[in-house]
Amino acid sequence: MPEVKTVFKEVLPKQGQLSMEDVPTMVLCKPRLLPLKSVTLEKLEKMQQEAQRVIKQQETAQQQEHA
Amino acid sequence: MRIGPSGKERSSVTLTMDPLFLAWSYFRRRKFQKCSNICTKVLEDNPYDQAAWSLKTRALTEMVYIDEVDVDQEGIAEMMLDDSSIAQVARPGTSLRLPGTAQGGGPSPAVRPMTQSGRPITGFVRPSTQSGRPSTMEQAIKTPRTANTTRPVTNSSGRFVRLGTASMLTNPDGPFINLSRLNLTKYAQKPNLSKTLFEYIFHHENDVKTALDLAALATEHAQFKDWWWKVQLGKCYYRLGLHREAEKQFRSALNHQEFVDTYLYLAKVYRRLDQPITALNLFKQGLDHFPREVTLLTGIARIHEEMNNITSATEYYKDVLKQDNTHVEAIACIGSNHFYTDQPEIALRFFRRLLQMGVYNCQLYNNLGLCCFYAQQYDMTLSSFERALALISSDEEQADVWYNLGHVAVGIGDLTLAYQCFKLALVFNNDHAEAYNNLAVLELRKGHIEQAKAFLQTAASLAPHMYEPHFNFAVLADKLGDLQSSYMAAQKSEDAFPEHVDTQQILKNLRQHFAVL
Repeated sequence: MPEVKTVFKEVLPKQGQLSMEDVPTMVLCKPRLLPLKSVTLEKLEKMQQEAQRVIKQQETAQQQEHA
Repeated sequence: MRIGPSGKERSSVTLTMDPLFLAWSYFRRRKFQKCSNICTKVLEDNPYDQAAWSLKTRALTEMVYIDEVDVDQEGIAEMMLDDSSIAQVARPGTSLRLPGTAQGGGPSPAVRPMTQSGRPITGFVRPSTQSGRPSTMEQAIKTPRTANTTRPVTNSSGRFVRLGTASMLTNPDGPFINLSRLNLTKYAQKPNLSKTLFEYIFHHENDVKTALDLAALATEHAQFKDWWWKVQLGKCYYRLGLHREAEKQFRSALNHQEFVDTYLYLAKVYRRLDQPITALNLFKQGLDHFPREVTLLTGIARIHEEMNNITSATEYYKDVLKQDNTHVEAIACIGSNHFYTDQPEIALRFFRRLLQMGVYNCQLYNNLGLCCFYAQQYDMTLSSFERALALISSDEEQADVWYNLGHVAVGIGDLTLAYQCFKLALVFNNDHAEAYNNLAVLELRKGHIEQAKAFLQTAASLAPHMYEPHFNFAVLADKLGDLQSSYMAAQKSEDAFPEHVDTQQILKNLRQHFAVL
């Protein structure tokens, strides 16, 4: 008995509707472009950092005096 | 100074420059500390040297000078106890406080992230763009600011007071001028001294009340004919929160002298009074007198942007670029607009232009990295992000860069890397709501339901204005069968983003369920 090779052929319907269920999926938050800083803002931040640095220095100096 | 044509016979002749002249020279070269030191010495020899005194006030002012047009910080008190608004519920397109009411159709939050006040994020931050208007006191206190920097200050002058005290701390002998002992009437009558003195009091000492007194006396002395003093009065009134008085002074100054700055100050007043349309008209009036003036055009563009009308904002930014093709704000805003309208290639060109112009910071490299990735120029992506990480100046920036790197990792399918990136974002900024949300999604993929739930709840409480955590929570709760929680979360998601189709779908399904029950 000759071996019959069974060939499976896929069935693609040519007619009719194709339907799929729309499952709600989780959403990721979007990537975020970082806004550039204006010159004024940069200067403000720089001045604030500088001021904080000076105050910290003075505080440590005072603490050393006490100690 | 050594003089001699060849190096052999150098005779060392020391020539001393006139100290005041040297101080002037330092001032012109913006070496203010040196200038101030020399003036101090001159004043020690002769305390009545008016030129040195005036120059020192100017040098001290310049050290801390900030363009007043740009400065606009609303404290919590100003935001919440605002009595200058005309209508509680403004008509659409007439208020900056209801950003959803623009007719132009802003970008959807599904594509462009929103700030806490419900506006799409902008490409450029100024001190004034940092203040969004929160709707409740609780939100005002606890929500981080839009430009990821600071929480709202409790008082609009808070930042300036701190700067003022700091500048005093650096002077061991106390302040240069003792304001309480100053005879303002005497100085107001000397126009050559009064103007520098005013700027010193206003910018360096931040004593707005004294500055106001001086300006009032000086304008009286000038018989109310000097526009400069009127502008200064307006500035003082604005700082004190007396907006209508400020408006009067600026208007009066404009009658004397048409000046671009005055238009900008006046528009600032209208912005604060929440009258964007009046401000727009004013800018257009200003453009009649100063055609194609860049600052006025930028002002118009900013207002359109704040009203969520991105299309016309972009038009005006393009006009700005026609006049000044190196305008950083315009390039950055147009660039980010292109990025969020699905044209990362074009956005890339704008950000590259900024790089060519010499802007060199973490934000720009981060944006370049994102644009490269989404424009499929993968070779440049990671090196851009590496540079961004190398240029970081604060933890918040670092968190944002890692967050964006997480997106790149998600894009290439390396979920382990993505997980680590989002985790790192949280290490640097524990309030990063977006990172919490994205981590939750990744956790859920791994099957860690409880963990995902916790992350989503954290994200939702940190950023109630974002729809993503609410929506994700609704989906998750729906799957778990907790329909009530799902319904509540979906409603919150609908509040944040009414046009979101999937939210509507969930709500519809849930309502059907409940009806059947």
